[in-house]
Amino acid sequence: MLLLQLVINGLQLGAIYALTAVGFSLIFGGTKIFHVAHGAVFTVAAYLFWWSDAELHLPWPAAALVATAAAVAFGLFMERAIYRPIQRHEGGFFTVFIAAFGVQIIIQNLIGTVFGRGFVSVATPLSRSLELLPGLFVAPVAAISIVAAMICFIALTLFLSRTHTGMAIRALAENRDLIRVFGLDPARVAQHVFAIGSAIVVPGAILAAMTEGLNPAIGAHVMLISLAATIVGGIGSLRGAACGGLLLGLAENLALWRLDPQWSEAVTFIVLFVFIIFWPAGFFGRPHGAK
Amino acid sequence: MPIVRLVALMAALLVPIASTVAQDVIKIGADLPMSGPNAEYGALFGSAAKLAVEHANADKMLSKTLAIQFEDSQATPQQGVVAMTKLVNIEKVPFVLSAFTGVSKAIAPVGDKAKVVSVNGGGIGPDLAELGDYFWNVIPLVNLEIRVMAPYLVQERGFKKIALIYVDDPAGEAIDKELKENVPKVGGQLVAELQVPRNSQQFTSIAAKVREAGPDLVFIASFGAQQAQIVKQLRDNGVSQQLAGYSAFASPTVTQLPEAKGALFPTQSVDWAAPGMSERVARDWKSKTGKEPNAYVANYYNAVMVFVTLAQALEKSGTPITGENLLKQRRATASFDLVGGKMEFLANGSVSMPIQINEIDGGAGKLVKAGTMAK
Repeated sequence: MLLLQLVINGLQLGAIYALTAVGFSLIFGGTKIFHVAHGAVFTVAAYLFWWSDAELHLPWPAAALVATAAAVAFGLFMERAIYRPIQRHEGGFFTVFIAAFGVQIIIQNLIGTVFGRGFVSVATPLSRSLELLPGLFVAPVAAISIVAAMICFIALTLFLSRTHTGMAIRALAENRDLIRVFGLDPARVAQHVFAIGSAIVVPGAILAAMTEGLNPAIGAHVMLISLAATIVGGIGSLRGAACGGLLLGLAENLALWRLDPQWSEAVTFIVLFVFIIFWPAGFFGRPHGAK
Repeated sequence: MPIVRLVALMAALLVPIASTVAQDVIKIGADLPMSGPNAEYGALFGSAAKLAVEHANADKMLSKTLAIQFEDSQATPQQGVVAMTKLVNIEKVPFVLSAFTGVSKAIAPVGDKAKVVSVNGGGIGPDLAELGDYFWNVIPLVNLEIRVMAPYLVQERGFKKIALIYVDDPAGEAIDKELKENVPKVGGQLVAELQVPRNSQQFTSIAAKVREAGPDLVFIASFGAQQAQIVKQLRDNGVSQQLAGYSAFASPTVTQLPEAKGALFPTQSVDWAAPGMSERVARDWKSKTGKEPNAYVANYYNAVMVFVTLAQALEKSGTPITGENLLKQRRATASFDLVGGKMEFLANGSVSMPIQINEIDGGAGKLVKAGTMAK
């Protein structure tokens, strides 16, 4: 029964990881910007949802809208005010990384100052587990996480394959200069990428606010997992990022079946190292040098 | 109100930076977590220390204005050493407030080498009593807390089987060691010892392991946001047994958490209604924060007041206020009148105090066992 419990817990956590990893992968794959502040987007969305729900007492759909608007606005701000000027001045990868990392720290402190530095969580009966079988406890939020991740992923896939904007985003990922030939503005398409990549974080942020609870430093962990899932899944592949997130969530929980709990996070990075060494292209990434 | 705080922050940022800096001050340092997941503690400890500074200045206890320089330890040993090095070498303070077992152990050699006194009011690892002449504690260490908690939980409350969830840092390991020693002595059994990484945020599967162990009580030895996350996720995932923790449960993050209601935790005994300093601190703390003070408020207020008492004596005798002279003066001082009554330092720089057991009731906490001295 413990094994089944760990699998269910792993799927629930993996679904949240997949949602954050897909957003990061979309932005990195589409714009080649190493968006370290993706964790900050998650933090902003989660806190805005908590604040709208717990302090303003808005209904959940309205709170989710506030969180989405904040996440999208923050994503667009990062693209417009931070990354675009750096790229205009031909700043390198390291400059982008440091700038984004700095923003992440500023956001962490700003959130702590505005909302308090303690632990907060969204109180909901959905996070309360029910004993389905003797020794097997499952919360409604587990099913919600998995279904939400599937819906978001399917919607994103359809959007990218069936709409003009989606196709422009895919084209941007392939060749930034070539899309100008079709009369598209790469900067504008990049803004769409940031808006969508930030919005897709919101379900994961809301679910985390319900299940794990929040503190201003939560974004760093999210960023780390998103990066690991992107590498495991294959850089540039949304399907890979989703599978990578799911695999890491499962690995983190299944480790407890045979190992002591302090190994659970280490297992995530053991999986990452195994991929980097033996399967550097990840699940669905292109092998190095492939065109 | 978050918006009010945001406006206040913006206003503070707009204040001209080139304000005049008072030269005529006696400065002490504070190496506390001001950012990261444990920043809540830094804010609490720092506010208590600032209240003590405010009282010392209002009462003109020293010849110059007392000021406190804060540096951010982020509750990590590495950052704590960076902050301590700055306080010692650049700010040249003779006295530094410290917190957290790991940070305190890391900064103690820096203070010892520079002959700067470090005073801990938040870390609880028993080895904090062995960090040299220049490292003092104004908080009873966890070995004393566990020696009071273990007999109470096992013998008085009948929680024979205890599962421990502890963080993989010196504080968590110290609690594990103390429980392993003391629980069997009083007739109990440690049925699970689950060590969790410091940055871990997911405990649903830990809850499954706890349920599998079938304990009567779950003892949580973590701190900051993590201990609240553990409590919430245990309760959300079918762990209905009694919860208990150590003095870190006194943090508002835990005491105000609905899932933590009924949890037991020890603190040193403080009678906030006692006339004099205790009553004044309780009154001013409430008027500033709107909250009841807790043991951490007493500790960091007391830490500053220990400095003020020693510095006063040094000024009176015309001796410079240095770390070395503060140590000499402390050894010459039999006791200190502080919040909670008279406090005496042991030879190793730590203190022994009566320890009470509290139950989280959604407010300031309910006393369930009056203060007793650890045996």
